Amino acid sequence: MWVGIFCEITEFALLFAVFFVARAHHPEAFHSGPERLSLLAGTGYTLMLLTSGWCVARALHAMRRGQRAACVRWMLAGFVFGLGYPAIKIFELQRNFALGLDGSAGVFIVSYYYLTFTHLVHVFWGLLGMLWVITRTGLGAYTVEEHSGLEAFACYWHVTDMIWLMIFPLFYLLG
Amino acid sequence: MSPERKIDLAWLMLVLLSVGGAGIGSADGAGVGVAVLVSLVMAVKLRLVCTYFLELHEAHPRIRSAVLAFCYGMPILVILTTAFGDTLSSLTGALIG
Repeated sequence: MWVGIFCEITEFALLFAVFFVARAHHPEAFHSGPERLSLLAGTGYTLMLLTSGWCVARALHAMRRGQRAACVRWMLAGFVFGLGYPAIKIFELQRNFALGLDGSAGVFIVSYYYLTFTHLVHVFWGLLGMLWVITRTGLGAYTVEEHSGLEAFACYWHVTDMIWLMIFPLFYLLG
Repeated sequence: MSPERKIDLAWLMLVLLSVGGAGIGSADGAGVGVAVLVSLVMAVKLRLVCTYFLELHEAHPRIRSAVLAFCYGMPILVILTTAFGDTLSSLTGALIG
């Protein structure tokens, strides 16, 4: 599990390095960049992912207490909030394209799409993983003593959450 | 306090910091001061997620150190690249061409 998580961290560390170099070379483009994005959408992603992570953390604690039904309910809630991320992404993309913010809109927007789409892919894997874990929890595959699959998924989801907490200020606040 | 209550409070703090952080972003201004403030908020949020959601204190010390280095390294890099953007630009300029 941690090998996979470190691969994810390494991947994003490289992308962040590219971001910092691009920002140093094009300070004006990055300074005015956040004004072109929707802060409401950025905050919405953050709240959805944080709330989904909170539900997953509560699901894990429910499992540790042997409350399987509560665990499934928390996981389902986590999945619904997790779906909020791609839902907001659709709204934001429509807005961006209407404003002409496509791949030819400059280095800031290209960096933004590169990092956020990579993160979106990781969220999709996480949502698929969450469905798998919900199904297995519902079928009774995890117990109080053995629920390492649930713990592994929770770790992945929280790290994906942490990476968004880094991306959000870089593009929506700092520029 | 039960572990569940701690998780609830951590989530509430994270939400408040996120909304507060968005307030910083919507305010005018740029430079190192804003970068320090934004980085501080980022570091606190990452620490909360590491402690209460990820339960990093239960991980192997090497894993814990590596994840914490990533979490604290990012806010520090944000500040350094804001303060010394010109230096970074000249250092990497030769590579980019």
